[in-house]
This record gives sequence, C-alpha cells and structure tokens, in this order.
Amino acid sequence: MESKYRNFSKKTIPYALLVLFAPFILTDDYYHSVMVVAGMHAIVVLGLCLVMGLAGQISLGQAAFWGIGAYTSAVLTTKYGIPPIAGLVAAAIIPGLFAFVLARAIAGLQGYYLAMATLAFGYIVQIGIGEWESVTGGANGIIGIPPIGFFGESELGMYYLVWGIVTILLIFSLNLVHSRVGRAYRAIHKSEIAATSMGINVRQFKLSAFVVGGMFAGISGGLYAHYMGILDPQPFGLHESILFITMVVIGGMTNVWGALIGTIIIEVIREVLIALSHVIPELKGDIDTIVYGAILILIMMFMPEGLVPRIRAVYAKSKASKAGDVQPKPERGEVA
Amino acid sequence: MAELLQYVANGLVSGGIYAIVAIGFITIYNVSKVINMAQGEFLMLGGMITVTLISMNIPYAGAAILAILLVTILGILIQKYIIANAKNANPISLIILTIGVSTLIRGVASLLWGKDPFALPPLTSNDPVAFGGITVAQQSIWVILSVLLILFGLWYLMDKTMLGKKINACSVNTLAARLMGISPVKMTMLSFAISAATGAVAGIVIAPLSVTSYDVGALLGIKGFAAVILGGLGNPIGATVAGFLLGLLESLGAGYVSSGLKDAIAFLVLIVALLIKPSGLFGERSVGKGGL
Repeated sequence: MESKYRNFSKKTIPYALLVLFAPFILTDDYYHSVMVVAGMHAIVVLGLCLVMGLAGQISLGQAAFWGIGAYTSAVLTTKYGIPPIAGLVAAAIIPGLFAFVLARAIAGLQGYYLAMATLAFGYIVQIGIGEWESVTGGANGIIGIPPIGFFGESELGMYYLVWGIVTILLIFSLNLVHSRVGRAYRAIHKSEIAATSMGINVRQFKLSAFVVGGMFAGISGGLYAHYMGILDPQPFGLHESILFITMVVIGGMTNVWGALIGTIIIEVIREVLIALSHVIPELKGDIDTIVYGAILILIMMFMPEGLVPRIRAVYAKSKASKAGDVQPKPERGEVA
Repeated sequence: MAELLQYVANGLVSGGIYAIVAIGFITIYNVSKVINMAQGEFLMLGGMITVTLISMNIPYAGAAILAILLVTILGILIQKYIIANAKNANPISLIILTIGVSTLIRGVASLLWGKDPFALPPLTSNDPVAFGGITVAQQSIWVILSVLLILFGLWYLMDKTMLGKKINACSVNTLAARLMGISPVKMTMLSFAISAATGAVAGIVIAPLSVTSYDVGALLGIKGFAAVILGGLGNPIGATVAGFLLGLLESLGAGYVSSGLKDAIAFLVLIVALLIKPSGLFGERSVGKGGL
C-alpha cells in the first residue's frame, strides 16, 4: 500500500498539471489534434502494456482490436443511428469479446506460437475489414461518422475527453498492477509453473489480460472513429501494431507510466520528423519506420527493460534529492 | 478439372517460396533459437538489389550473384552486430529486436528505392508453357527448380557434410559442440549467411512473377513464419510440407472462395491448426514450450 501512495503523490501531480495545461502551452489547433491522437494511442499502449508487460504475452496484432473498436462504433452510429456514446460502449465490448474468443482459442500457445497466432489474427481482421464491403464499405471505408457530441465537437473538448479517459484507464491500470491481481500477473511472468503451484489460475489470468488489452484498444478505436469522421482499413494493420509495440517497448514494457511516456516520446519524434520532412523533401520515404526500427533495435540491445525502469535505477543510484521522480522533463521542453 | 490443376500449379509455385522462407527461418532457429523476423526482408533485398544492378548495365547473372553476396554479408552483419549483442534473450525481446531489424531495413529500402514497384525481367522468355490444359509461366518453372535445388542443397549440406554436422551439433547441444572444438559463434553466423543467401535467391526468382517493391518482404516473411509454426518449430521437413500446404490453400481459396480473402484463409487455417495441434502439424524438433 505504501508504494502505491508514493507512486500516486510523486507522479500524479505533475501528470495532472501537464494534462490540464498542455493545450494552453501549445495553443495551435494542429498541436491539439496531435495531442488528441496521442491520447488515443496512449489508451491502446496502456492496454498493450498490461498484455505484454504484466502477463508477459506478446501481441503483434493489437491494431486489429483498435480497428474492430473503430468499425464497431462507426457502423453502429452511421448505419443504425445509435448515439455515439452507446457506440463507444459497444466499441469496448465487441473487441473485448473478440479478444476473449481469441485468447480462449490460443490460451495454450506460448512463445513463438503465440506471436504467430496474434500476427495472423491481425492480418485476418485487416483483410476482413477490407473485404466485408456490405458492412464496412470495404476499401472505400465509411464516411460521415458523427462526432461524439456534447463537448467532443471542438478540438479542445475532444482533448479533455480523450485524456480524461486516459487518466481513468491509467488509474485503473496502476491499481491493477499494485493489487493481488497484478502480483499474480507478475508471478505468471516469472514462472508459470510456480504460479500454478501457488494456486493462480494462469489460463484465466492470461485470458483476462488479453480481454482488458482488447477493450482498451477498442475504446481508443471508437474515439478515433468519431474524431476522424471517416474510416478505411489502411491504418489497422501491421504498421500500426509495430508502432504500438515501439511505444510500449521504449518506455518499459513492465511499467504503466512507461507506456504513457513511451507514447509521448514517439509522438514527439513523429512530429519532429514531419517538421523535418517539410525542410528536407528527400525524407518523404518511410523515415518514421527507420526511426521505429532503430529505436526497437537500440532499446532491445542496450536497455531491454525500457527507459523508465532504467532512469529509475539511475536515480536510485545517484540518490538525487528528487529520487524516484521520473517525470520526463525533456519531452515537455521539446513539445513546448 | 483443368481449373483445379491450374490452381494447384499456382499454389505449388507460391508454396515453394514459402517453404524456402520457412527453411531460412529454421536454419537460424535451430542453431541459435532466434526467430529472425527480418527473413522476408532478405527476399525483398535480393529482388531489389538485382533490379538496381541490372539498371546499371550489369548482366543478369552477375547482378544476381552480386545481390546474393551483398544480402549474405548483410545477414552476417545483422547477426554479428545486432543479434549477438542482444542482452536479453527471452523470446519477446528477440522477436521485438528482429521486428526492429526488419522495420529498419524496410524503411531504408523505402528511402533508397521509393515506394514504386519495380519489374525484373524473367530468366527466360515471357511465353507461358502449356502442360495438358494448364499454362505455367516459364519463370514459375524456374522458381520450382530453384526451390528444389535449394532444398536439396540444404539437405545435402546438413546431412552429408562435416559442416552440416557441426551446425547440427550446435543446435542439439551448444555446450557439447563447443567442447568438441566447434565454434557456436561461427556456426550461428554461418546459419545467418545461409539463410540470407537462400532468401536472396528466392527473392530473385520470384521478382519476375510479381512486381517487387520495398514492402514485399513483410508478408512473405510472415507467410514463411506461418509455415514454420504450422510445420512444427525447428522441423525442416514439416516446414517444407507446411509451406507447400499454405501455398496450395491460398491458391485454392483465391480460386474458389475469393481472391481478396486468400491471405486471410491461410492465416485462418493456421490458427485452426494450432488449436488442434499446438506444436505444429508435424511436431517440434526442439523440446520446450513455445520453442524455448
């Protein structure tokens, strides 16, 4: 319990201040939209962090759940006229069900088999979205998805809505990590056999991690659909799944704050690259994939635990006055 | 009937390629327990470098050989400077690391060559050959021949030569191999070299059948990985059979169900197969969970 409170007090205040006032530091509408999308990514990455970091299950198809969520809400609101809020609820439930079925099916798989199964699932979903024209509009996609409503109309309203949801899910994740459930996950991560012998139902825990991860991604997808107003199958493939993995890996797979910080780092890098490509037109290629690839390689080679745990270790060593406070100041500087 | 035969013929061609990619995966995996997700990128590079060299007026054969050499060197460099230095050798980290390598190569390729597709001329003429009711592109015959040649070559190397025995010794028991004076480091490097070279050859022979571009590697790599998993991790014969099986399934699925769904069909079959037999259709060669 002690550690939980320390966690909260040290990081919550800077986090809350940053979330509340970021739109006023960067008042440009363009940056607001970047922050909105960053928040949506953060939701997916939080879920992926629970799947990969907590339960130690690799998921190479997280973008599929994101896509299922987006299309669920989009189809329900455009074709059946249900209100967007109900659409969002469905966007959490339907991907959760998909995740449940998938996890039930592949619960016995480990290591490379699990990696392949999630990869295959990601492809199946993306192709399915592209081919099921009567529902998803196929390659043309869906247009005219209504905005969320009440305050989701404006860029700023959407920002507070998305980051409000990020905050709720962040608190949920932190509580989960520091609860009995979180300890059970860590036990599974360390040794499944030992965990089983302590009476932990490994299968059930793995399953629930997948379901929670799928639901997070689905909520984010629903928000994305209403925010964009249009959808096509293109963004829900491997490229995006790798992006989410990069985000979760850079911050530190086993760390909830790391998931958030990793997302922000990558978003900042993306914006820097976009700004650069305006200056240097030669960089119009997939310069971002080069950067993701390089980040994945460097992190896995030199600090597989990720940035946040690493920084924390350095802090603990140096016994600085602000021990343990790993609020990422450089990014704030960069964004501003 | 003629239709069916045609689909089978097409399926054997793509299946052969998946088998080659799968064998590439297994060559590396059996020595070092690494699944190299950048395997598909070796195919892409083989095709793209050959196209580039031909455009520099280097003759076809020379361009192909040079491309294979360059890709082989790259494979060795990846092993030596990236994979060998990975601190944390759990499967999640290794998968992420090699996904990083593959992403990086793809990104660099997009900068070098742009996103447009390139065409590689076929080895022989463009005229298709007719075999009693089915027509096959001449290049497809070359593909099948190369596949058989590579499979035979690898079998011969692994089963009949001293070098193959050394590689096998490392995959059975690294420590014992080292005690016998075999260098596991060298063998691992060699496995990457073999894998990169076979990948490049496959990339060159299939490039004329379809266009080649910076991003053809991803899907080919994943199909090859699917064959590895379907056949049973570390089982070369299983992977070969599974590769052909996936190719046939896709071709039949594209013909009889829907061409848009052909990739989804292969992956769906894979997931169903894993439900029935979690360690692949033909069993693993390694002992352990998920190949560790």
